Amino acid sequence: MQIFWQSVGFGFVTASVLAISAVGLSLQFGITNYINFAYGDFMALGAFFTYVLNSEVFHLNIWIALVVGSLAMGVFAVLINHVIFSPFARRFKKTFYVLIVTFGLSLILLNLEYSIWGADVRFFQMPLAKVMHIGPLLLTRYQLIVMAIAVALMLGVHAMLKTTRLGKSMRAMADNTTLAMTSGIDTRAITTITWFLSGTLAGVSGTVLGITEGNLTPASGELFLFVIFAAVIVGGVGSIYGAMAGALLIGLATEISAAFINPAYKLDTAFVILICTLLLRPSGLFARPGKA
Amino acid sequence: MSGIWYYIFTLVFFLFDYFILAMGLNIQYGETGILNFAYIGFVAIGAYVTGAFSLPNSVGTGQQYILGLSLPFPLGLILGGLAACLFAVIVALISLRRLRTDYLAMVLISLSLVLYDVCNNYVPLFNGADGLYNVPEPFAGVLHLTTNSFIPFFAGVTGAIAVVMWLVMGRVTRSPLGRTLRAIRDDDVVAAALGKDVFRNQLKSMLIGSFYAGIGGGLIMEFSGSFNPTAWLPGETFVVFAVIIVGGVGNNIGMLMGSLVVETLLVHLPAFLPDIPGHPGLIEYFDAVIIGVLLMVMLWFRPQGIVPERLRRAATFGVRDDLGAEANLPPDELSALAPSPVVQPGTLQARSATNE
Amino acid sequence: MSELPLLGPLGVLESSAALRCEAITKAFQGVHAVNGAAFEVPEGQITALIGPNGAGKTTVVNILSGSMTCDAGREFIGSTEVTNWPSHKIARLGLMRTFQLSRELGGLTVLENLLVAPAHQAGDSLFNVLFRPGRVRREERDNVERALHTLDTYGLYPLRDSRASDLSGGQKKLLEISRAVMASPRILLLDEPMAGVNPALIDRIGNHIRDLRASGVTVLMIEHNLNVVEKICDHVIVLAEGRTLATGRLSELRQNTEVVKAYLGEVIDASTSR
Repeated sequence: MQIFWQSVGFGFVTASVLAISAVGLSLQFGITNYINFAYGDFMALGAFFTYVLNSEVFHLNIWIALVVGSLAMGVFAVLINHVIFSPFARRFKKTFYVLIVTFGLSLILLNLEYSIWGADVRFFQMPLAKVMHIGPLLLTRYQLIVMAIAVALMLGVHAMLKTTRLGKSMRAMADNTTLAMTSGIDTRAITTITWFLSGTLAGVSGTVLGITEGNLTPASGELFLFVIFAAVIVGGVGSIYGAMAGALLIGLATEISAAFINPAYKLDTAFVILICTLLLRPSGLFARPGKA
Repeated sequence: MSGIWYYIFTLVFFLFDYFILAMGLNIQYGETGILNFAYIGFVAIGAYVTGAFSLPNSVGTGQQYILGLSLPFPLGLILGGLAACLFAVIVALISLRRLRTDYLAMVLISLSLVLYDVCNNYVPLFNGADGLYNVPEPFAGVLHLTTNSFIPFFAGVTGAIAVVMWLVMGRVTRSPLGRTLRAIRDDDVVAAALGKDVFRNQLKSMLIGSFYAGIGGGLIMEFSGSFNPTAWLPGETFVVFAVIIVGGVGNNIGMLMGSLVVETLLVHLPAFLPDIPGHPGLIEYFDAVIIGVLLMVMLWFRPQGIVPERLRRAATFGVRDDLGAEANLPPDELSALAPSPVVQPGTLQARSATNE
Repeated sequence: MSELPLLGPLGVLESSAALRCEAITKAFQGVHAVNGAAFEVPEGQITALIGPNGAGKTTVVNILSGSMTCDAGREFIGSTEVTNWPSHKIARLGLMRTFQLSRELGGLTVLENLLVAPAHQAGDSLFNVLFRPGRVRREERDNVERALHTLDTYGLYPLRDSRASDLSGGQKKLLEISRAVMASPRILLLDEPMAGVNPALIDRIGNHIRDLRASGVTVLMIEHNLNVVEKICDHVIVLAEGRTLATGRLSELRQNTEVVKAYLGEVIDASTSR
């Protein structure tokens, strides 16, 4: 039973990281209607931005570095969209091209990170964390902070989508870009803002992934991307709330299975859930009509 | 034989091997429009199964693997190709019918990672992270080949296999089946409305492409005698995509050009460069970046590739082509065929409705 | 065509219907695009499907051809129920369709666009391609000859080797129809075959459609231009708000106040003022 509760605790932590990243990916997918296969490398790059601020040059406090590094990643994502993705998406009607471009960018970013930081495992500079008991759960202070960040960001995204003009425009655009454009929404501005949000969330999730895993390599984002895909597909592609629910489900399932089966097959648990979803409910648990 | 020839024939081998791999991905992506981001997984299955069939029983080899039947040369290779086909059927049944292009790509890339994970972690299957090694060199015993003479010999064998596979692929892509696949690529709704079973045809394309992937992978195994998980990280799929996009999607000769430029010149030639002191792997990293950039530049400036897809003209069908219809269509009629600016009522509304 | 069988009050037609649907409904995100549409398309005639914007005409064609599934209702081709069959199976029963916005197979030549269409090609089987090349070649030669003649009929012969994506709008309309004809259809659904084309071409397409009827093809066409409907269509189905409002001959429908109120008046005004 001890092991079970421990794995539930880890499950919530993984779910928190997943939720942040999955929402970041889904927001952008909803607006641009193509998957960003470089998202995992966005995460790793954001984490390295934080790492540079935290460990290499400024020796900033990890949480301050997290904020600054993630915002920098948001700006970087906007630049990438402006220079690469958006020209390709505008020029080629078929999504093939832009998908291959995101796939190619993932290769470029990964290898740039390798050439700058090497393949060695890196660590954030942060003091040892105290372990705390929360009911039956046993968690470090950092893990609790990560969960708090996730909850805060999810509530923030929810509030933004439901109450602000920006959020309403984003939802309108995700439903029907042409219609949104004709009803006077500045779709290019919305796209830019969405890339900024998506990049920032990638940065945050990449960094908290590094914090919870205790280390950081250029490839860590790429491996995690697959788990994000599982969460997003299980939740229903394009649905923000589906992404959140999928993250919770996949996070708990992978960690509990890791405790009871074998940690080496964490990924495969996520994949089995993914396959079952595809077989039973191909559009996902919380599918949005017209997107599948 | 001197070292330089060893290198050159290794390059020749990879030129032909990636020609085969590129043809396989091309029929899936270039002809049918299936974005198979798991392609390298099919290559790996071909390699492992070929190796496991060719190796002797695992007892006493210091490795753990299934099968171990010591099958002679072409048998293991062909079974490797068929194993990749079997895997394609499973993948297609789960995902192909249900998903649009980009979800399919997501599922496939995930699948290639999981396959990687299983092969890497589950040692009894294909010896885990160490991979298979000491796979017997085909014909080496019969022809008394040394390690040095084996390399040019097997590069030649691979070349011969590649030519045969190129002829077969040419027959497929020029056939009505190839045309149906291209119709599905261009617009699957139209193809279905014309009575084509889209799923069945996509499945055929997956099977053909996977067979090529399996053979290409099996040849790598036979050539180098070893194969382990570092050889097929998901990024490797991208190299094959780069080959076909640089060479010219939809053109089989383009695949050979792409293989020459990307695989031979960019991937394997720099691998022979000495490491920069103090920066292990830097050349490799830069190499990958260059391939990525090259692909984007090609997509932007020459999306049709070095050797573009050829149009199939009427004259090539070998039929009487002298209907003299020019007389049937006077010049003013031709201009009458141009679209008129008149917008009929309902067109705009229906356009947004059909944009779903 | 003057002995055209007329619809009784129950909408039951005495002669055989090539295509029939009952109470078709389809909703998009809770909004009903089609709401109980029911009608019969008489064999060997040209039937027009008309109705105001948003009446659900294109959705009906999408459902009848299998490009879309319906939420409720039934569809019959002859006496075979084909409700929610996938479109390739419906196509194999001889029902072909064209699209409102032309959907040419852009990467193929005009000739190849037609060659895709014939049903049951031996060359679609991998086994035949690899092991019976002679049979595939013979069949291909026949198909090419027929395709070239079809292109000749539709005036596209000089463009046979052009990439289909390079054609003009009017040429693409002709390509759509000739491609469907190449499949030797029994029933042809045309979604606004004359939308966006100039008057000279409208007459030409009209003649092609009449020739098709003469060769025994049943045609259902969405059409806005009532002059065209008057000229070539035997029978009219009026759709409004996803329901069948009325069916009959155009001259009778002009007397139907409900129809005029819902649709005809507005269009007649629009077409005379243009």
